[in-house]
Amino acid sequence: MVTRVLTIAGFAAIILALFVLEFLGRRKGSRIPTLGEWLGYVMRPRAGRLLILLGWLWLGWHYFSR
Amino acid sequence: MAADDVPRWPDRPPGRIRVRVRARGRPPGRKVLIGAGLVAYSWIAAGTVPFTRNALLAVLLPGAVVAALAYGRPARRIPSPERIDVAGFSYWAVCIIALVEWEAAAFRDNSLWWHPSLTALIDPMLDVRPVKAAGILVWLLSGWALVRR
Repeated sequence: MVTRVLTIAGFAAIILALFVLEFLGRRKGSRIPTLGEWLGYVMRPRAGRLLILLGWLWLGWHYFSR
Repeated sequence: MAADDVPRWPDRPPGRIRVRVRARGRPPGRKVLIGAGLVAYSWIAAGTVPFTRNALLAVLLPGAVVAALAYGRPARRIPSPERIDVAGFSYWAVCIIALVEWEAAAFRDNSLWWHPSLTALIDPMLDVRPVKAAGILVWLLSGWALVRR
């Protein structure tokens, strides 16, 4: 039981950290890029766009198709 | 009062303000139509049985549309930054690697009850059709946001 709670708490903590980073990135003068900024940067070259979109497609397939 | 006679924007032709007001008052019919279409698609896609051809097509179809848009022309609404702060980005990288590692550790243990993967935690929620439809809608919108940022 304790292991299960710890596992779920770990997921929750990481996801919460991602939201905190987005919040920090939106502050004026922050050095931390927002999710949109770094995704935009990665997606500048066509290969980056392909990589990110394959990840997006995989998420859809993994959660909604199977 | 005398101030009523003074034009508020002397450098603009008088007709322009009227046009702007009319444009703002226009009903957003196209957006409503697209939104309704996406909601309907999500609901139908959520009704497909997992591991079937229809479930696969429900994901591949929007995937093909988004891929075609991305391949054709890059995102243009918000210009992509030419550089990002590496140290700043490293915080994101650490969190994403931690998430992948946490998921992989659970996956390696066959996602047992005492060590569940994120997928094993989310899947029971997706058995409820409205929740799954909402998830698909969010997925579709995020795909659109990726190619049309």
